[in-house]
Amino acid sequence: MSAFFKLRVLVFCGLNPLWVVLGVSLIVGLLMVLVFRYTSDQKAIARAKDRLKAHLLAVRLFQDQLTVVLRAYGEIVLGTGSYLRLTFTPLLIAILPMTFLIIQLDRYLGWTPLQPMHSFLLETQANTLESLEQIELRLPDGLTASAPPVHIPKEKLVVWRLEARHAGEYDVGIEVGGQSVDKQVVVSSTLERISPVKLRGSLWQRMLSSAEPALPDTSVIQSISVYYPHRSIRFLGMEWNWIVLFFVVSLVSGFIFKSALGIQI
Amino acid sequence: MRARNLRRVSLFILAWLIILVTPQIVHAYAGPGAGFAVISSFWTLFVAFFYSFYALVTWPIRQLSRWFRRRKAYQKAQVKRAVIVGFDGMDPELANRFMDEGRMPHFAQMCDRGTFRPLRTTFPAISPVAWSTFQTGVNPGKHNIYDFLARDANNYLPYLSSAQIREPKRRLKIGKYSLPLGKPEIQGMRRGTPFWHRLGEAGVFCSIVRVPVTFPPEKFPGVLLSGMCVPDLKGSQGTFCFCTTRAANGRFREGGVRIPFERIASEYRCFIPGPEDPLGSGKDLRAEFTVRPNSDGAKAEIKLDSESFMLKVGEYSEWVPVKFKAGLGFSARGICRFYLKQLTPEVEVYVTPVNIDPARPDLPISHPVTYSIYLAKLFGPYATLGLAEDTWALNEEVLDDKAFLAQCYGNHEDRERMFFDALEKTPQGLCACVFDTTDRVQHMFWRYLEDGHPAAKDVSADSRPQVIQELYARMDDLIGRVMKKIDDETLLLVISDHGFKSFARCVNVNAWLHENGYLTLKDGKTESGDWFEDVDWSRTRAYTMGLNGIYLNIKGREREGIVDAGAESTALKEELRTKLHGLVDPASGKVSITGMFDCEGVYAGPYVDNAPDLIVGYGAGYRASWDSVMGKVTGTVFEDNTKAWSGDHCVDPRLVPGVLFSNRKINVEKPAIVDVAPTMLQLFGLKLPAYFDGKPWAVSTK
Repeated sequence: MSAFFKLRVLVFCGLNPLWVVLGVSLIVGLLMVLVFRYTSDQKAIARAKDRLKAHLLAVRLFQDQLTVVLRAYGEIVLGTGSYLRLTFTPLLIAILPMTFLIIQLDRYLGWTPLQPMHSFLLETQANTLESLEQIELRLPDGLTASAPPVHIPKEKLVVWRLEARHAGEYDVGIEVGGQSVDKQVVVSSTLERISPVKLRGSLWQRMLSSAEPALPDTSVIQSISVYYPHRSIRFLGMEWNWIVLFFVVSLVSGFIFKSALGIQI
Repeated sequence: MRARNLRRVSLFILAWLIILVTPQIVHAYAGPGAGFAVISSFWTLFVAFFYSFYALVTWPIRQLSRWFRRRKAYQKAQVKRAVIVGFDGMDPELANRFMDEGRMPHFAQMCDRGTFRPLRTTFPAISPVAWSTFQTGVNPGKHNIYDFLARDANNYLPYLSSAQIREPKRRLKIGKYSLPLGKPEIQGMRRGTPFWHRLGEAGVFCSIVRVPVTFPPEKFPGVLLSGMCVPDLKGSQGTFCFCTTRAANGRFREGGVRIPFERIASEYRCFIPGPEDPLGSGKDLRAEFTVRPNSDGAKAEIKLDSESFMLKVGEYSEWVPVKFKAGLGFSARGICRFYLKQLTPEVEVYVTPVNIDPARPDLPISHPVTYSIYLAKLFGPYATLGLAEDTWALNEEVLDDKAFLAQCYGNHEDRERMFFDALEKTPQGLCACVFDTTDRVQHMFWRYLEDGHPAAKDVSADSRPQVIQELYARMDDLIGRVMKKIDDETLLLVISDHGFKSFARCVNVNAWLHENGYLTLKDGKTESGDWFEDVDWSRTRAYTMGLNGIYLNIKGREREGIVDAGAESTALKEELRTKLHGLVDPASGKVSITGMFDCEGVYAGPYVDNAPDLIVGYGAGYRASWDSVMGKVTGTVFEDNTKAWSGDHCVDPRLVPGVLFSNRKINVEKPAIVDVAPTMLQLFGLKLPAYFDGKPWAVSTK
């Protein structure tokens, strides 16, 4: 899946992230309404929506009849439940691919790569206090430490401030008790696939947060994190988190496509 | 206050939007699918909440204001709720007969414990006239409706008496287009005030469903869905479309158009004619559709715009939305149903008149306008046309008995749903609904009720379908369900506007006037086409059009009038009355006209001048001929009626009273339909206006 995404997004690499988000949102909006079209009971959805509208109108039309209004309100609550039940199937079908899509896109769009000559933090968390004392950093060519490491025994953390001289993909080595593990560091000015953390175990957390292979189970290192800056995208005079923008644009495009294609959602 | 509320609401919406669009954990969001569901349901709930909140908060204020307005009405009100069920054309003689036969137990129960009387109707006994009197409490001289059609004295042509729809006055000419600036003007021709306006103003809530002559809908404090006289999308009273591969054999007399199919490979292409192009091209808009028969010849796929559906032979489609595109973004929308009549040896498809779409009405058909939308959303699309049961299609044998009945009862079931919903939504006040299935079915199936009807000569007595018997039993079942829904504090009235009689023989009064020298044709002519095409007005003293009226050609009133108003016209009326009264049908020896009524004797009010000068009261078994109604002069006065339209009520009104049933005792000897309005006002404790012609009944309070 990751390899596939790596390949796909290579196409966008030269593009402004805004265009990537807009393009993906439009396509996803279209795909989602098509998923709705083919996986839901369109007639039942239309009927449920119509009945909801009818009960809303009843509240207005018969507002002088309190019992009628209250009954209509009850019908609205029940009707909303029916409507949500009808949308559950397409939702269930879409939720898995959508989650994977968003995770993969988040690798590219959630953070910006590090910049040359800008310092950043690399943080390693150990299992035990003893192993914390033994952790050593091995830097590749092009990366330098700009300050001595800071140990935080309470949290079993050691933090380094580093700096890259040139753009590129680096593997920073962490050595402890004869074991060595690597952490990828990306320094670039274009759209790149970024893994802010490397983890041991925790399959779900790793799937959701990491884009690198797991640390060995026998390692005394729990996690290695790089502090990448969060990306914000400028659109309509505002700074947007990519996922908010994706949400809004995909929703708007979905509503446009559903009207154009006559699909009930 | 209002601004502050608005600000609060805006902040509330904003807060929710912020919550919705700022997920803190990236993977919690499942894309627009979840967004659609969340936003749609949230929005619905929010609007519902807002409405309900508004209704609840303002309820005490509104109740107070209503209490203030209606305190007098309800102080003296004798009922909590009145329910009026109208069965158009229900006949007291038949009701009696079927009650005796045990077919109508619920009606019999009302007859035993409450009231059953014949209900005197109007002159003439025609639905728009009688229902106008029902709602206004006055005679036709005060409400101005004398027939379905009225005549324009300037050109001797007919126009619809109940409403007129005119093109927008102003248009903008751009090249070949002429853009309408504004909406069509709809003018209601019925005068007088319906009694539910007075009840509504006094704080009594009213739900009025499909009462005839309520188009265009008028504003009042209540809800109303218009009935008879609502036009189709073409503006007519119902124009069906019959698409066929059969060679043409003339156009239909009225009520429909025949359009040949064009065959392209295995498909048949045709179109539904729509309204006139609003951009002024002078042509009718069209909506094309195709029919692709299955290889087995039992089914076909019909495609219209984006709609595609399969129909079996002998089956109706659901209501299908149809859009007539005019250009420049102008379009007209309606709904229609398809009926696949046959696929072999010929392909024949019947399409109902294109009804105004109740969910998106191009013309207002309810008050408030959202009421028709509410019903459409609640129950799905439904027939909105005033005369929705296509009697002409059966008359012209485009539909057979079974298909016509399926259409009638389909519409009837829709109306039952609407009525029961109105009943539920009106726990206090007035709920009135008119069902016209009774009228249409009796018109079309009377031929099976009697021996020797010319329209059913070949049908033996034992093979006659019991359509009318089943109709009455069905209405009884409906009343049974109504009775279960009402309590002891509810008054139930079941009324009809007129009864029914056989229509076996046609009388062409224009032919009689011609034979007797009152109507003269142009030189060399022995007959005249529709609408007096060949009449010489300079030598004509009297003519008839419509169902019961005779007009004198009065000088100064008619464009080419020759009869002086005053002594000459009075003498002429008397002469015609004397000669026509008792007119004998030479073929049967029966009296074909049992009453001739001078308008001055039966009408009083400011609109008497618009009335026909004489009302013809046909005897039982007789009615104005099809030709006579359309202003045609033929060579024969009498002829058999061989059409399916075999029963009628446009006869001597004394022969066709309606019915009055009630769950309470009503102490009245000879009730009339004109009495209903004053009775209703009195029941709710309102003062009766002095101009009412009807008298309130003494309704038992138990």
